[in-house]
Amino acid sequence: MVSRAQKIILVEDSPTQAAKLSAQLEAEGFEVKACSSAEEGLREISDNPPDLMVVDYYLPGLRGDELCRRIRMNIEARQIPVLMFTVDDTHAMELRGLDSGADDYISKSADPEVLIARIRALLRKGRESQAILGAAQPHMRDVWMLAVDDSPTYLEKIVLELEQDGYKCDKAASGDECLKKLDARPFDCVILDLVMPGMDGIAVCRRITEMRRGLRNPLAVLMLTAQEGKEDLTRALEAGADDFVGKSSEMAVLKGRIRALLRRNFYLEENRKIIEELKAKEMEAVRAKIEKEAAQARASLAQKLEIANAKLEEANRELESFSYSVSHDLRSPLRTIDGFSQVLLEDYADKLDDPGKDHLNRVRRGCQQMGELIDDLLNLARVIRHEIKMEKTDLIVIARAVMEQLKKANPGRKPEFTAPPKLPVTGDPGLLRAAIENLLGNAWKFTGKKMGAKIELGTMRKDGETIYFVRDNGAGFDMSYANKLFGAFQRLHSQEEFPGTGIGLATVQRIVRRHGGRIWAEGAVDQGAVFYFTLGGPDASQ
Amino acid sequence: MRANEKTILLVEDNPNDAALTLRALKKNKILNEIHIVQDGAEALDYLLCQGKHAGRDPSAMPSVVLLDLKLPKLSGLEVLQRLRAAERTKLLPVVILTSSKEEQDLINGYKFGANSYIRKPVDFTKFTEAVQQLGLYWLVLNEPPPK
Repeated sequence: MVSRAQKIILVEDSPTQAAKLSAQLEAEGFEVKACSSAEEGLREISDNPPDLMVVDYYLPGLRGDELCRRIRMNIEARQIPVLMFTVDDTHAMELRGLDSGADDYISKSADPEVLIARIRALLRKGRESQAILGAAQPHMRDVWMLAVDDSPTYLEKIVLELEQDGYKCDKAASGDECLKKLDARPFDCVILDLVMPGMDGIAVCRRITEMRRGLRNPLAVLMLTAQEGKEDLTRALEAGADDFVGKSSEMAVLKGRIRALLRRNFYLEENRKIIEELKAKEMEAVRAKIEKEAAQARASLAQKLEIANAKLEEANRELESFSYSVSHDLRSPLRTIDGFSQVLLEDYADKLDDPGKDHLNRVRRGCQQMGELIDDLLNLARVIRHEIKMEKTDLIVIARAVMEQLKKANPGRKPEFTAPPKLPVTGDPGLLRAAIENLLGNAWKFTGKKMGAKIELGTMRKDGETIYFVRDNGAGFDMSYANKLFGAFQRLHSQEEFPGTGIGLATVQRIVRRHGGRIWAEGAVDQGAVFYFTLGGPDASQ
Repeated sequence: MRANEKTILLVEDNPNDAALTLRALKKNKILNEIHIVQDGAEALDYLLCQGKHAGRDPSAMPSVVLLDLKLPKLSGLEVLQRLRAAERTKLLPVVILTSSKEEQDLINGYKFGANSYIRKPVDFTKFTEAVQQLGLYWLVLNEPPPK
């Protein structure tokens, strides 16, 4: 990627000065936009934000320091480095410029190379700092300074001065000690002597430059030197120093430069903090949006469920009125057919021959069968919509009552019935009774042609589950039809052989399933059948 | 006590069922007068001597009402509720005679004050037996409430 030329806004009211400076900067590869007033400069910042500002202190209208303050108050512009320059060479002026928020201050009389070196130092610093977007420290905190000088006297002096300004200070007598201390804790600013025995300021500065790429806090390096040569300044700035101050300068100037450096770092830090806050807010907004959408989705789901439930209830009501109609309306015509067939048989017996009477009897049998079918279907429907009520009950008590009923209805038969004395279960007594009625009724029916008929109700445990079974030694069934046993209207025997509607086992299966259980069967033709079932849920026999 | 002074009110909209009921009664030698009305509203008119039965002798009350549940206009259960709410019919013996054996119908039938609930069997032989028994019971054995 071709890196774009760095843009500098030059705010200078003198056209000749502006032209001269523009030429110098453009010769160095910068894109320069010259503005003749602070107001024009501000407009240009908001239209096309630059990488750096070079601002004359004396301007018509807004002065340079005021322009600086305005830039620093704007959240988007505040990180733009500002270099202030002026013909006025006094320290007082320099301090005013720096305290208004300028990052650096340079006299117009200074060597153009010094200007370029300072501009590059400012630009480099901005780039590096922006690259580190770690967690920001809160603005209101202690500011740590590390003074590095081989002269203990000078160290004492500078630390005293800095502590008076409220900085926390530490000292290092050599480059090595400085690097160790920087390793041990974070500092905000290093004041580094250029000329030291062993590792000199430039070497230390290079090491710091390498080191601070990995630092979370921006670390400012201010190079101090006894000789303020152009060459040293250039070397120091190239090595990564943020500023370069002569030891001969007044302490106030040094402090002003430090303030400017730190302020700049704090701007960066604060900027990062603001960016993070904005990010957090945005994340929060995204989260809130997701949550809101999820809540809406839940609400819409709940609504859909409600609608589905209402439809289900409606369907249930329809089913109820349907089975009511079936029970009433389908039976009435059957009774009419059967009744009037009987009337014919009684009142017109002398006019009917035997085949005629036989036909009428067949009509009557058909009616009765249809009546049973309707009753069984209604039972099945009742099981489906019956509200299940779980209670503790005993299968044996139910089974004995059912057996009594069967014996009364068929007094000629006496099959052997075996069962344990007790079989406590948890289930719906009404439904369980219907199931046992069907299972024992089947066993009773299919042992009807068997000598020594046996019916057994029992229980066994397998894989931690209680399985109940009804066993008989009756007609049995072919296992290859086992899958048809539980379907409604499925029959494995003819009406002549064993009458039935084919709904009983479908009803039993429905009942077992409604208890959360399973049902299956084993059998062989003429070898009897076993119907196994579970009732799910916690084992009542435990 | 002469049995034939006692009458039966049969509330039945299905003429086949009505004919079979009459036949069953006759076959069982129950020769009392049987009055048939075909819907719930007329049953109320008859018993409360109103509407088209306004001119009827109010002292002539049936010994028992055989009430079907599924009726045009007013259902059997509605008729029952109104009878129990009216002073002159609140003690009148009412037997529900219906095809339905829905649990809810049974519960409501007894709740609203039916004296008995009989399900009509499809099998006419059984139906005849049932009618015979209920006729004998309500016309002969049962002591009616005092007038």
